[in-house]
Amino acid sequence: MIREPPPFFHRGPSPLARLTFFALLAIATMIADHRFGALEAVRLSLSVLVRPLQQAASAPGGAFVRLADYFASQEKLLRENEALRQKVLEYAAEAQRARLLQAEEEHLLAMSPPRSRFTTEGVLAEVLSHGRNPFVRKLVLDRGLTSGIKAGMPVIDGQGVVGQVTAVGTFTCEATLLTEKDQSVPVMLTRNGLRAIAVGSGKDGSIDVPFMPVSVDVQNGDLFVTSGIDGTYPAGLVVARVTAVEKNTAYVFARITARPAAGVDNYRFVRILTGARPAAVPAPQPRAEDPRAAKARPPGKARRQP
Amino acid sequence: MRPADLTPVARDVMKVPAGPGLILASFVAAYLFNSLPWAGWALLARPDLVLVVLLFWTIHQPGSVGQGLAFALGLAMDVGDSMLLGQHALAYVIATYGAQVLRVRVLAFPLLEQSLHVLGILLGASTVLVLLNLLLGADFPGPALGLSPFLAALAWGPLNWILYLPALRRMRREGAA
Repeated sequence: MIREPPPFFHRGPSPLARLTFFALLAIATMIADHRFGALEAVRLSLSVLVRPLQQAASAPGGAFVRLADYFASQEKLLRENEALRQKVLEYAAEAQRARLLQAEEEHLLAMSPPRSRFTTEGVLAEVLSHGRNPFVRKLVLDRGLTSGIKAGMPVIDGQGVVGQVTAVGTFTCEATLLTEKDQSVPVMLTRNGLRAIAVGSGKDGSIDVPFMPVSVDVQNGDLFVTSGIDGTYPAGLVVARVTAVEKNTAYVFARITARPAAGVDNYRFVRILTGARPAAVPAPQPRAEDPRAAKARPPGKARRQP
Repeated sequence: MRPADLTPVARDVMKVPAGPGLILASFVAAYLFNSLPWAGWALLARPDLVLVVLLFWTIHQPGSVGQGLAFALGLAMDVGDSMLLGQHALAYVIATYGAQVLRVRVLAFPLLEQSLHVLGILLGASTVLVLLNLLLGADFPGPALGLSPFLAALAWGPLNWILYLPALRRMRREGAA
């Protein structure tokens, strides 16, 4: 029979009292972090403490990758070089066309509020690891506050949009993948300019395009690019290719599934677009039926709607 | 009343306590293990060694390791795994409480039965984590997640052996002297 310890062995509050205290503290921490995002400073300082350990843990894997790189066969390198050279040629033509388009756009923009929809500014980042949160898949990248990274910046690779920076540390940042649940991107169909929102499905790396009517004009193989209307993602980045369109008249909406263009799992290097900035909120325009605006307008000149 | 030296608790009290160096080193090693670049289903099945080491010290040295340390380690795990702050803290604190309540009983058993008790605590902790994340709107990541407590419980036996080695060596040295 175990009896209560004599008073001179007494060690403060009972385990149950401690449990209540710490459990409430943990729940308060979660609420503060989830609802108010108030603990970024705590997270940052803890991550500085924990970082050496993490680096030590990932060192063997990194060393192995570097070793593998070092021993890559010459034949493989030659092949890769050849492929890259071909790609450069392919892209050169596109780049020239893009330069022309950009010049035109600048010319047009000179007449309207200054805001570029296209951006190419960015920093190259290496994928350090795939994050260890089993519930949300993230990429840990080797750029952080010191490189001017901010939460919300888009992350792309050679093929298209990978995701978005969701948390920034001092030297690292985390990007949440496009395919994660509740990650949404405003997109546009290249074939007919249809605007939609692509939402990650959270499973098997696919993307849904919800709330499109059954009569919508979307076909298999159609390409979605960012529309740029949110101000977060610059326009024209490739997002996904439609893989399945299910139009069942029994439902209100068509079921559209797409596969991301970016090799979300395949790459060691990605690009964080630092040039993307929030779109300027357009000033409210006087509506046509506003009598004061109509009076102020010189007669005989039809006002162009932007 | 039984003689004091026969009850497991009394045996435990009479034992030479492990130094803070060993405790710290064991936590650092466990954290390193947890921070390895796990991915895919290996990440889901990853045994949480930090929690097992925490339970070990809670059971064997309740004077030095308790719920405060559990909370701090939980925060460190949340930062390392980039999860919502406080999730691991809650799970670890609950698990530590379980260990504190069960420790007298656990110590009365040999290692195999001990690891069954630990398995129960680990299952409870991982249930807390999963439920929290489901509440937060995440999808269930996969059945491999259920493997993790079992693998961690398997580590209980070897862990006992490793963490007792320094004490054994000391005893042997003192016995020889």
